[in-house]
Amino acid sequence: MNSSILTIENLNVYFDVFGGSVSAVRGLNLTLDHNESIGIIGESGCGKSTLSYTIMRYLAPNSRVTGKVMFREDNLLEKTEQEILAFRGNRIAMVYQNPYSSLNPALTIGFQLDEVTRFHQKASKEKAREKSIQALTSLNMGDPEGLVKRYPHQISGGMQQRVCIAMALLCQPDLMILDEPTTALDVTTEAVILDLIRDLKDKYAMSLMYISHDIGVINKVADRIVVMYSGEIVESGPNEELFAHPHHPYTRALINCIPREGLVKENFRLNTIPGYVKQRGTDEGGCPFAERCSMKVAGCIERYGMREVGEKHAAACDRAYAADVADSFAKLKVSRSKQHADHTKPILEVQDLYKHFGKKRKIYAVNGVSVGVERGTVLGIVGESGCGKTTMGQTAVGLYTPSKGRILFNDTDISVSWKKRSPEMLKQIQFIFQNPGRSLNPSHTVEQIISRPLKKLMGISSREERKTRIIKMLEQVGLSEEYLSKKSSHLSGGEQQRVAIARAFCLSPGLIICDEPTSALDVSVQSSVLNLLGDLQAETLAAYVFISHDLHVINYISDYIMVMYLGRVCEYGTREEVMQPPFHPYTEALLSSVPEIDPSQKKRKIRLGGQLPDPAKKIRGCPFAGRCHMQIGTICETQPPPLVKFSDTHSLSCHLDFPDAVREPAGEATG
Amino acid sequence: MKYILYQLKKNPLAIIGIAIIVFWVLAAFIGPSVLTYTHTEMDSLNQMVSPGVSGHVLGTDALGRDILSRIIVGSRSILTVALLTSMVSTLLGIVLGFSAAYFGGKIDQTFLRMMDIMMAIPPLVLSMVVLGILGGSSIMSLTLIVSIAFIPATARVSRGSLLTCKNNEYVDAARIRGESHIYIMFVEILPNTIGPIIVEATARFAYSIMMVASLGFLGVGLQPPTPDWGMMVIENKQIITDAPWAVLYPAAAIASLVIAISLFSDFVSKVLIHEQ
Repeated sequence: MNSSILTIENLNVYFDVFGGSVSAVRGLNLTLDHNESIGIIGESGCGKSTLSYTIMRYLAPNSRVTGKVMFREDNLLEKTEQEILAFRGNRIAMVYQNPYSSLNPALTIGFQLDEVTRFHQKASKEKAREKSIQALTSLNMGDPEGLVKRYPHQISGGMQQRVCIAMALLCQPDLMILDEPTTALDVTTEAVILDLIRDLKDKYAMSLMYISHDIGVINKVADRIVVMYSGEIVESGPNEELFAHPHHPYTRALINCIPREGLVKENFRLNTIPGYVKQRGTDEGGCPFAERCSMKVAGCIERYGMREVGEKHAAACDRAYAADVADSFAKLKVSRSKQHADHTKPILEVQDLYKHFGKKRKIYAVNGVSVGVERGTVLGIVGESGCGKTTMGQTAVGLYTPSKGRILFNDTDISVSWKKRSPEMLKQIQFIFQNPGRSLNPSHTVEQIISRPLKKLMGISSREERKTRIIKMLEQVGLSEEYLSKKSSHLSGGEQQRVAIARAFCLSPGLIICDEPTSALDVSVQSSVLNLLGDLQAETLAAYVFISHDLHVINYISDYIMVMYLGRVCEYGTREEVMQPPFHPYTEALLSSVPEIDPSQKKRKIRLGGQLPDPAKKIRGCPFAGRCHMQIGTICETQPPPLVKFSDTHSLSCHLDFPDAVREPAGEATG
Repeated sequence: MKYILYQLKKNPLAIIGIAIIVFWVLAAFIGPSVLTYTHTEMDSLNQMVSPGVSGHVLGTDALGRDILSRIIVGSRSILTVALLTSMVSTLLGIVLGFSAAYFGGKIDQTFLRMMDIMMAIPPLVLSMVVLGILGGSSIMSLTLIVSIAFIPATARVSRGSLLTCKNNEYVDAARIRGESHIYIMFVEILPNTIGPIIVEATARFAYSIMMVASLGFLGVGLQPPTPDWGMMVIENKQIITDAPWAVLYPAAAIASLVIAISLFSDFVSKVLIHEQ
């Protein structure tokens, strides 16, 4: 046990709750070597965070823990509250998911950083500050002296997370636990932070334990991957080996359900995992995954054991076998054609749309966007947070009114708020929100939720008729009749989003605006929701505006893609045109930042430094100029970029010289 | 229901509270029919007798009236007024607080300033002055005036709880299907904010008992012959050295009911807030 830094033996964690106790972690064994980084992956509810909190001894008072957690020679579970303080933050550091809530908004960043060394190393004020600044510098943060005097809300989310990492590094811990540190961040920021974590690990010779639900992210930082399901480890193995030959059915299902390059809705359905992670009681045995497993046999209810399947590679399935990953995709027998698309006239037309917020200090959210959505097609809008994509969607349904410009729906001007729209118009444009838990009223039943718009906008007054329609709709989204009387707060995230989709589709709308409908969901649920949206679109021929920050998702579902940056269109074209060169530099950077699922795939590294420019400032030139890796000179900052046209559909705005393209002078950047 | 029993098992204080409340409610309903003396009957042979003498379980006052009967009959009026007050003030609070928070802007500002003005006058002083001018009070006027005095508190709670729910997306979802403001406020938002409002209402119940008793003590509460706990305390103040029970038992009645309702209110808040 000389080189291992953390050894967990037969760890069990139970929580006593109303109606018995549930077991969150069961019989878990894990070793972490010096200078090794492991990634822990699984859906939500699989006990990943419970495991990390057990190591940190942060568990809630209703928990019971048995087993051993050895940190070098000390069993952390036997330490008193007083003794554990010497480990927390000092030898073992942790970085949490949401940097905004893990930093204290009332104290300066400097104070919070200094506290760590002043407490653990009894450093003097000056010495502590010196160390804090050193730590910030080692994370490539510009102007650390200025930064320590600021408050957390004055810096961006990516900066906050870097401050959290700096805080974790201060005492040069032996072990750093990262609990989904990049989930709340943009892809471009995520890419920068992941690179940073890798560098730091080598520099300080730390061990890392990286928890995430995103396989692509895990891939970038971990040497060894541990797959957890329902509180148990079902497979563990070296990074590339595990992805090339996943043995456990769960691992395989998890890898397969993620949309990736080359997967498009016309030809493929995404793989899904039916059901959801069940909380287990204390005395259930057998394979936890059995009831969702597509390869289960009768014996799965009892048989269960970890077996070696390769070098350092073990899987907890008796019939552990490897099959090629690629062939397990369900290829559509008849590919969905795009013929139903009506190219003659767009159903939604946005003309030179501007939206500004605020009176004294203006926020320029959308600055001159023109785009059309054709009947029966999907327009994907992609961009970082703060690029105005959600504002655009909400303006289209009338939650905001445009400051300038027009929105036409079937040639009717709808640039007015929801109050002034006719019921027919409200019915025609539906909206699916990001977070189904918040967009469905938690105290209403599913029947009430779907029935209300039917009554209000379709004018169906008979309760019986509404009910039959709802049941039919629920069947279409894969829910049974028994859901009618359930309250939405008692449903899982995936079921909630299905109800939200049913609510939108039961009105047979012409256009549905989907605002990040899958980003709050687990990957396995995301794939089933995407399949559902794809199927319903093929059936109903509705047009979608699909807003997302995830390029793979956009690539899967969209026919046309619009890339937005700071309220402006960077690039627009069909899916194939946007996803292939020639690129707008921003599109290229986005593509390069997306974590790849396959670890053997290497791609060109483009990392965006800096942050989004202040949206309260008017920008004369190209909004992306400050962060662009292809910037050609002052022209970028002073003159609005011209529109470069490659084909009837494909265009981008950039000063770069593209051969064989038609350039049009830039529209006046007013606003 | 099962969940409530589970919580109750862990919370012995709540059980005590509920038991006391049940006792008083039963007393108010069936008490008068089993009493040997009525509350106005003056037993001239047994003035200021100590508890237990000739069937006066809690003794008598200076006029020979049975203390137990008076307390039990008094519980009827005090429970009625307190219950009505907490309901009326909560309802008014919801209407005012919700409209202020929902529409926001100038309406909200005006509402807040008005509440500030009302809060500058202590509710007890306010009700005392109004009742004094009216010269005596009935159950109706008492309820109404105490309710109005409580509006700043209940309206602020309603306003705050609507603000926490207002930015949820189900409100946006209701807007873009063209729902009216009233529908959004009372069908979409109210069920999700009812927890803190109910907790506040039960707390108001305890406050209004205190208030009614205080007003009785100050002589502007319910008028004789209706026995009022607060009034009983002040009536018998002169004989406190000779017959301490005449003051002690009504005071204990006030205290027990207020404490019981506070314990119950704590329990309600625990159950409702855990549920959310």
